[in-house]
Parts: sequence; C-alpha cells; structure tokens
Amino acid sequence: MSNTKSLLTIKDLHASVEEKQIIKGLDLDIKPGEVHAIMGPNGAGKSTLGYVLSGRDGYSVDSGSVTLDGEDLLEMETEDRARAGLFLAFQYPVEIPGVSNLEFLKASVDAQRQARGEDAITSADFLKEAKAACKQVNLPVAFLKRGVNEGFSGGEKKRNELMQMLLLKPKLCILDETDSGLDIDALQVVAEGVNSQRSADRSFIVVTHYQRLLDYIKPDFVHVLSDGKIVKSGDASLALELEAQGYAWLQKEPAEDELEG
Amino acid sequence: MSEWLESAIARAQGINDWLAPKRAHALELLANTKWPTRKTEAWRYTPLRPVERTQAKVISDKIELSPVAIADLSAIELVFVNGQFDQAQLTKTLPEGLSISLGGDLGSAQQANALSVFSTIKPERHIFGLVNDALAQDVVVITVAEGVEITQPIRISSLLSQGAESHTRVQVALAAGSRLTVIEDVQAQGESFNTAFVEYNVAANARLEHYRFALQTGSNVAIGGSHFNLHDHAKMNSTIVGFGSDLSRLDTDIIHAGEFADAKLNAMYLLDGKELFDLHATVEHAMPNGKTEENVRCIVADRARAIFNGRIHIHRDAQKTLAELNNRNLLLSDKAEINTKPELEIYADDVKCAHGATVAQIDKQALYYLQTRGVSRSKAQVMLNFGFINELIDLMPNAALAEWIRPIIRERFAQMEVK
Repeated sequence: MSNTKSLLTIKDLHASVEEKQIIKGLDLDIKPGEVHAIMGPNGAGKSTLGYVLSGRDGYSVDSGSVTLDGEDLLEMETEDRARAGLFLAFQYPVEIPGVSNLEFLKASVDAQRQARGEDAITSADFLKEAKAACKQVNLPVAFLKRGVNEGFSGGEKKRNELMQMLLLKPKLCILDETDSGLDIDALQVVAEGVNSQRSADRSFIVVTHYQRLLDYIKPDFVHVLSDGKIVKSGDASLALELEAQGYAWLQKEPAEDELEG
Repeated sequence: MSEWLESAIARAQGINDWLAPKRAHALELLANTKWPTRKTEAWRYTPLRPVERTQAKVISDKIELSPVAIADLSAIELVFVNGQFDQAQLTKTLPEGLSISLGGDLGSAQQANALSVFSTIKPERHIFGLVNDALAQDVVVITVAEGVEITQPIRISSLLSQGAESHTRVQVALAAGSRLTVIEDVQAQGESFNTAFVEYNVAANARLEHYRFALQTGSNVAIGGSHFNLHDHAKMNSTIVGFGSDLSRLDTDIIHAGEFADAKLNAMYLLDGKELFDLHATVEHAMPNGKTEENVRCIVADRARAIFNGRIHIHRDAQKTLAELNNRNLLLSDKAEINTKPELEIYADDVKCAHGATVAQIDKQALYYLQTRGVSRSKAQVMLNFGFINELIDLMPNAALAEWIRPIIRERFAQMEVK
C-alpha cells in the first residue's frame, strides 16, 4: 500500500469558525480504497473537518494544505471539490421544499458529468438509475418526487444522502455521523449501501461518535480526534478500546477552562 | 383628474346599451374620484405615470389574434381581441348547463338578472374598476346551471395587439351545487393598456377553481381584478401567477357572504428589470364559520418593485372564522424592492386568525448543500428560487396548467440570473 499514490493528504491543517480555531494541526493521509474512521468526543472538530474539506462559507483555513488526487483542494470552490470527487454525507441534511429530489439528483449528476466533459444524462436513463438507487437504499420511489428531504424522517434523510452517493460515485466519501438518529435496521441498510460502494478506487472517512457503526462498516484505520488534532491512530481494534474505555484517557491533561468543551 | 381619465370619461358618455344605468353610476362616482397620487393609500407604491403617458388607443379594426395553445388542456375558449369579444373563437358546442353570451344578447329576464349583479361584487373603491364599468365594450355573462359540473375549464383570454387599449368584463354565476374552472389570461404584444375585471358569484355548495395569469411584461399597463362572492358552503381555490410590467396591478376581493365558505388563494409573482407588480387582496368575512387561506410569494430581482397588500376583515358576526395569510418574499438584489402590508381587522371575538410576512434572501445552507453535490452556485440559486415558487405550483389543482407554467417560470428565472 505504501507506494500507492495518496487520494487525500492533509498536512498540518489549522482551521477556524468565526475566529475560533477548531482544527489545530491535523494530519491525515488516505490512499485509494481505504476506509478511515474518525472518532472523538463532542466538540473535537469532527463535523468541522467535513465542512472545511467541502469549503463551507464561514469555515476558514488558517494554515496547512489539503490535496485530493494531487490537486490543491483548498483553492477550489465547493462545487468544484464535488466535481473532483469529494462527497460529504451530512449529519443533518437540509430540507429544500419545492425542489424535487429527482430534479436535485439529476442536476447534481449532470453538473458532475459536464465537468468531466460528458453530455447530460437523458431523463429516461436517469429515472431508471434513480429508481434502482432508491431500491438499493430501501426508499420508496415516491421519494424521488418529493421535495429534497422535505418531511423525511432522520433515517430517510440518511438514506437519501446514501442514494446521492450511489448516483454520484465519488472518489472520497465523508460520512458525517451517518449513524446518528438511526435505529438498528436503518443503520444496517446504510452500512450495506456503503459497503456495496467500497472499491479499490473509492475511499471513505467515517466520522462517528460511537463504535456501533464500525461493526457494520469495517475500517482499515481508526483515528481519534481530540481538540482539533489526531491524538491516536490504530486499526479497528482501537474503536473497541474506545468503546470500552471512553475518550477521557486520550485527552491529556486539558487546561481547566477547556473542560466544559 | 388626469387627462387620460378625462378622455376615458368622455368616450364612455357615448355608450348607450343595456348597462346604461350601471355605466352612468360609475361615471358619477368617477367624477367624484380623485386621481390617485403617492398620497392615496391604495396606490402609494404604484405610480400612475405609465397610465398618464400611455400611447395605447382603442383599435376598432379587426385584428386576428389567438391565444397560445396549452398542451393537454382542452378548454372552452372565450376570446377578446383588443377588447372585442370574438364570437368566432368561442368554442362551438358548450356542455349542457353552461351558457356563455354577450350581455346584450340575453333575454330580458336573464339580462335583468345579470344587470342586478353587475358591479356588486367588485367594490366601488377600485378606480379602474369604475373605468371598466364605464368602458367595457362587450360584457360576457357565463352561467352554470344548478348542480351541473363542467369538467372542461373555461379560458378567458384577453389579447391585445401592439398599441391597443382594451377593457374587458366578464360576469360568472355558478348556481347552487355547480362546479366550474375558469382561467383568466391577458396576453399583450408591445405597448398596451388593459383593464380586465371578472366578477364571480358562487352560490351555495358550488365550487370554483380559478386561475389568473398576468404574464405580460415590458411596456404594458395591465390593471384588473377578480372578485368573488361566496355563499353558504361555497368553495373557491384561486391561483395567480404574475410577471411585472411597467405597471401591473391586480385587485382580488373575496367576500364570505354565506356561512362555511372556504377560500384558498395562492399567488406568486416574479419580477425583473424595472418591473412593477401590485397585488391588493381583500377578504371580507361577513358571516360566521368561514375559512380563508392565502399564500403569497414573491421574488424580486434587479430594480423591480413588488407591492402586496393583504387585508382580512372579520366582521362582528363572523364568529368561528379561520383565516390565515402568509406572505414570503425573496429579494435577489440590493436595489429590488418589496412593500408588503398584511392588514387584519377583527371585530369578532371567537376567531382564529394568523398572518405573517417575511422578506429574505436566499437560504445559504440550501445553497451550500447543492454546491456540495457539484451544482454551480448560479445554477443552485436558480433552483432554489424556482423551488420557492414551485411549492405553490405544486398546489395547482389542474395538472396541465402546472405543467404549462413550470417551464415558463423556469425560463424566467434563467433569464433573471443571467444578468
């Protein structure tokens, strides 16, 4: 593996939200096909990492570098990062009433095809693909006609995120607490969907608070994020260790005033 | 008084027909009406300069114009060309129970009946409504017999050629328990001036589905009204879609004249350039147990100006009224303007009434979400704007009309964003 080219390389990343530094010197190297789990206590910066990588307004990079497939990710607009193969599955996907899920999915797929110099997919072909994706994530086809995430339950929203991933076929998927709010059945559906997409040229960052998800999506590496940096890395067994012992033993002597964070 | 109004009054004095008493009454009121200025509350944000300056004239030569085709819509066509009713374009065979006639051609009993209703639903305060009373040339009367359901929609098209002035008037009477769909549409080419008023009397248990499209843009002056009188258990569902022009003004009045009437009004307007659109929607709850739900959405780009005045008046006897008015507006530029004024006047003590008006810019979170999927920022904006309006289009009961208007609105958004 070591001589394979990296897909994502993060070097000494520092990033802030509203002047407050959240990511404080983060390094991460992901090769094609690898699944990395990032675990950590609340407030460690887990979600922030996904927002920074996707280029959300208000999340500024203070220093460090990020490359995706050798390209400088931080120089790109949000949409160009997506077109370059980055996909962020949100913890709380937004509802967009009035924009149908099908229209949204097709616009996304077309934008990415266009970026690759391909023609837009025909509506008939796309509908076929979208229906198959619905089936795979166990969402009724009627959800294609509804507004994006409009009135969807938490689990349905997560499955809708997964459906987008299936259709967009990204190189790097960041799953931001995809397990939150899911019952065990929904969790299995999502995990199966993710597992079906694992391949030698697709990598995953699975961000989660709990080890439970990792019973279903087996990571190659587990990292512990605490106070904006990775404080420990290991294999899947690290997740079990964390489950048994909690995070406290990894947070080395935090200053008094940081305890409540 | 303006020169324009003086000449209009002078022209009206020459007309002598079955409506003579009504026309005389309108002229009398007009003679005592002040020409609206910025100090006139009902016209505060809508300057009448485009009326004062219009070059549009009555064109009496016959001009061939026909309404645009709408796919999958098989409507009964009722066409005015430059204000004249075009008998040749009227759908030949009408379903049983439906009658469409020129008021002048009606038998004396029916005419007397039509005369007694004329201009009683449309309130007298609308100055251009009075102008229309006085000047409407061919007044068309539509009646649906008791208990009859007309499945084919009626489309009333008022078509104007370049430079034309027109005043059209239609009166619609739904007898008890009947059902009807009416589409009002004005299509103008180039500079023009029109007033288009329709009065609806919806008898007990009758149901009216109504659409009004005001899609003419550019140097048109388009002023009109749709006025509804609802009797016991009557139901109406109205959809208004408007683009702006030099001056577009629409007044709707919904009168709950019976108990347990149910009114829905969904209005959307999309303005660009220096366009103006002014909607005044008034609801009178005169009787108990009525229900009204109004949703008005507006998107204003560039330097356009939108005006919405939504008045709900709940009279003392109108207990158990449920009324809701929701107005949401999106501004797409710093110079765009929206003037919104919801007005509730409640004199009954046992009612549920809510109103809200918001003015906002595009939802940044939704924009970001679309961008994370590869959709460009500009395309995402178009999608979100469209979505804001599409929510109301989705509520249109007539699928063919929804399918027709959707791409027209999409196209308009694309143009709005290109600039």
